Amino acid sequence: MIRFENVVKKYNELDKMAVDNLNLHIKKGEICMLLGPSGCGKTTTMKMINKLIKSTSGNIYIDDKNIDKVDPIKLRLSIGYVIQGTGLFPHMTIGENIAMVPKELGWDKARIDARIDELLELMELDPKVYKDKRPKDLSGGQRQRVGVARALAADPPVMLMDEPFGALDPITRGKLQDEFLRVQEKLGKTIVFVTHDIDEAIKMGDKIAIMKDGKLVQYASPAEILSQPADDFVAELIGGNGAIKMMNLIKCKDVLRKLPSIDIESESILALNLMKEQGVRNIIVKDKNHKVLGYVRYKDAFKNQNAPLANILNEIGETVSPGTTLKEALSLMFSMGRKAIFISKEKGSIDGIITMDDLLKAVNDDDQDEDTLS
Amino acid sequence: MNIIEFFISRWDAILQMTISHFTIVILAMIISIILGVIIGILITNNKQLAKVILNVANILMTIPSLALFSVLIPIMGIGKAPAIAGLVLYTQLPIIRNVYTGIITIDPSIIEAARGMGLSNTKIMFKIKIPLAFPVIMAGLRTATVMGIGIGAIAAYIGAGGLGEYIFQGINRGNDRMIIIGAVMVSLITIIVDKGLGLIQKKYEL
Repeated sequence: MIRFENVVKKYNELDKMAVDNLNLHIKKGEICMLLGPSGCGKTTTMKMINKLIKSTSGNIYIDDKNIDKVDPIKLRLSIGYVIQGTGLFPHMTIGENIAMVPKELGWDKARIDARIDELLELMELDPKVYKDKRPKDLSGGQRQRVGVARALAADPPVMLMDEPFGALDPITRGKLQDEFLRVQEKLGKTIVFVTHDIDEAIKMGDKIAIMKDGKLVQYASPAEILSQPADDFVAELIGGNGAIKMMNLIKCKDVLRKLPSIDIESESILALNLMKEQGVRNIIVKDKNHKVLGYVRYKDAFKNQNAPLANILNEIGETVSPGTTLKEALSLMFSMGRKAIFISKEKGSIDGIITMDDLLKAVNDDDQDEDTLS
Repeated sequence: MNIIEFFISRWDAILQMTISHFTIVILAMIISIILGVIIGILITNNKQLAKVILNVANILMTIPSLALFSVLIPIMGIGKAPAIAGLVLYTQLPIIRNVYTGIITIDPSIIEAARGMGLSNTKIMFKIKIPLAFPVIMAGLRTATVMGIGIGAIAAYIGAGGLGEYIFQGINRGNDRMIIIGAVMVSLITIIVDKGLGLIQKKYEL
C-alpha cells in the first residue's frame, strides 16, 4: 500500500541525513508504528507521505502510484491526517471541522451532514450534543476524538497520525487507544502512526518500524521486536521490562484455562473427581438452567466431600473479557487481592480462568524463546 | 446666549462640518484598511520585510500629525486630498501591526493540520488565518479609526474642513463655545464609532 524506495531526506546540504536510504513497505490495512527517539526521522518519514516534507531522493508509492506525480493538494485530501493537540480549527464548530475535507471534495450538504453524524457516533460523541459546539467546549480526549473523526471524514484509505494521543493523560490515552483499535477493526485503514512511546507502539501496532539517526533499525511485529530485538539499541528502547511488556501483547483468550462445570445439586465428591480428571483446581457451579452461580475450589471440595456444593460455593467476582490483555488482568487481580480471575465473554457465562501461575508461565515461555534465539 | 442655545442656532453649520469630518475620516479609513490589511498579510510570508515595513510605519506614526500634513502641502497642495493621504499614512501602523501579529501568532499546529488536510495556501489564508486573526485585526482597525477621527480635526489646518475648522475658528475668534462644541462633537463621533467597532470585534472573539 505504502512503499518507500531508497528514500533520503536532507534538510540542507551540510546536514546529516534526516532520513537515510529508507526502504519500507506498509501493507494495506496495517497499523505501522514509526518508533524512535526525537530526531530519529520518524516524523519526517511520515510527512514525506503527504508531501508536507519533500524527499531529497528516492521514491514513495501509494497503491503503486509514485506520489511525485500526484498534486500535493489532491494527495493530502485523500489521506487522513491527525496531529498531536488535534489542530482543530477553533473558530469552527465540531461539525464544520469535520466537514472541511468533504466540502473541499465537493460533497453535497446532505451527504456531509449524514457523514458528520455517522463519524461522531463512531467516535462515541452524541451528534446532537457536540455537532454545534466549538473545540474549546470539549475536553482533551473529546477533542482528539474529533481530530480522528475529521481525518476519517472523506473515508481516506490511508491515515497519518503524528503522536495523536501524546498530549493526553494516561487514562484518557489508554481509553482512546482502545477505542481507536476498535474503530480500526471495523474500518481497516492503512495507518502510519508516529510515536516515541514503546508501550503505545506495542499496543497499537501490527508492525513497528524502529528508527535511529534516520535509519530503519528493525521492522517487525511487536512480538518479534520484544522477543528478538535486532540490536542493543532496540533492546534498550524496549527497556528491562520485556516480560511485563509481553503481557500487553498477550490476550486472556490466548492463555485461559477452560473449566468444567457442574450442577449445584451434585455431590461434592463428583466435583472433586471432575477436577482431578481434568487437572484443574476450580470448577464452575451452575443451576438447572445453566446459569452460573459461582465456583468451588478443589481444596474446599476435598475437605468437605460430603457437604452440599452450595455450602462451599464462592462468588465469581469481577470478570474480564477474552480480549483483555494479561497486563490489565494482572492489575485487576492485584486490585481485587485475588490469585485468579475469571474470563467471561458475556454476562452469566464463564469461558475460563487465568491464575497468577498461568500469567507467569505465559510470559516466561517467551523469555525462554528469547534466550534460545539470541 | 448659553452654549445650548448657541448649539441650536448653529446646528446647520455644525451638522455639515460633522458630516464633512466623518466623510474625510471614512474615506481615509477605507483606503487605509485596504492598504494596511494587504500589506499586513503580504509581510507574514517574509520576516525580514515585515521588520522593515513595521519600522517604517512606526516612524510615520512618530511624526507629529501637524508636521505630516504640512509636508504633504508642497506635494498635494491643500484641501481634502492631502488630508486623506496624511490620515492613511498615519493610521497604517496599528492596522499592519495587528494584521501581522494576529496572523503570525496563530497556533502553528492549526496551520499544519490545515495544510496536511489538503487546503491550499489561499484557502488557509481566507478560511483559517484571517478568521482566526479577526479579533486582533479588528482591534487594530479600531485603534486606527479612533486615531483617524481625532487627527482628522487637525487636517482642518490644511484646509480639509470638518469639525477641526470649527475648533480653529473658535480659537481665532476667542469663541470658547465653538471650541467646546467642536471638541465634544469629535469626541462623540469617536466614542460612537469605537463602541460600534467594539461590538463587531466582540462578536467574532472566540
